[in-house]
Amino acid sequence: MTSGATSNDDVWLVIPVFNEAEVIRRVASDAAKTFPNIVCVDDGSRDDSTGEIIKAGVRLVRHPVNLGQGAAIQTGVEYARAQPGAKYFVTFDADGQHRVEDVVAMIDRLRTEPVDIVVGTRFAEGRSESVPFVRRMALRTIVFLSPRTRRMGLTDAHNGLRAFNKTVADQLDLMMSGMSHASEFVALIDHHHWRVTEQPVTILYTDYSRAKGQSLINGVNIVADGLLHTRMRK
Amino acid sequence: MIWFQILAILGLVALVTFFMIHRGTARSSAGVKLLFVAFVVFGVYAMLRQDDVTWVANKIGIQRGLDLVLFLLVIAFAFTTVSTYLRFRELEIKYARLARAVALQNAEKQSRE
Repeated sequence: MTSGATSNDDVWLVIPVFNEAEVIRRVASDAAKTFPNIVCVDDGSRDDSTGEIIKAGVRLVRHPVNLGQGAAIQTGVEYARAQPGAKYFVTFDADGQHRVEDVVAMIDRLRTEPVDIVVGTRFAEGRSESVPFVRRMALRTIVFLSPRTRRMGLTDAHNGLRAFNKTVADQLDLMMSGMSHASEFVALIDHHHWRVTEQPVTILYTDYSRAKGQSLINGVNIVADGLLHTRMRK
Repeated sequence: MIWFQILAILGLVALVTFFMIHRGTARSSAGVKLLFVAFVVFGVYAMLRQDDVTWVANKIGIQRGLDLVLFLLVIAFAFTTVSTYLRFRELEIKYARLARAVALQNAEKQSRE
């Protein structure tokens, strides 16, 4: 462990993993250079993701069956929040889309500013050019259709990069197992009145991550789940 | 006939809302069973005494008894679909929590070894 890394001993990275054997070892070991505490939640992968996670030398929690990304994030957060000394938590994608530098900046803000959660946004400081056009339009539409998201001043609610403190981790209870968890996260921020802010981040769209990204038609499922989830929370 | 249509649609919305709000209570669960029995009894009666159904239909401004049966069927189907969806979602949540508990227990065991 380098001396720089020790200052991040209170940070836990939560990485949901589903069939990411090709990239997960590199992503996890790169991040581990800065953040020594990483838990990968293998969401019932059918490839050798588990083996690769073990080789990367990070913690592994394995779902016995595939439950979806939201469920994997919830499992990872529950694991991390039970670890001694854990103060800050980050949800980080397994496909290499996120940059560790962005996480460092987000954790800095959590440490110094009066906020509970920092959400990444692709749409700030002219960074949106890197986002493929169709995806940019779809993400803009989601924000436009969600009064809650607009009210809270969020511009990119479906960004997977989020950093938050123990208050958020302790209260987090994601029930939407699939991709709808992003909207659910926004609903929870609103419900619990967590102090939220955005951090401009760069998403690295590689061929691999493009191929793995959620299809736009899945937006229909996200909207349907969103309509019903308020009722489910009762 | 328009008043019947409006009434039927409002009735459907009220029914679904009622069962969503009181979901999982003994009262709503008993209500669903009673509705089901009533629906089956009505279905059998409609098959045996088609003229009676047409008479009832005419009374509320519908031309054919078959149309009345069809409207009720649509309402019943929509209601069943929504309640089945909600039931499955509840089960999925329970299933996810169970799988999570198993995963976390196993992780703890591994880290102790």
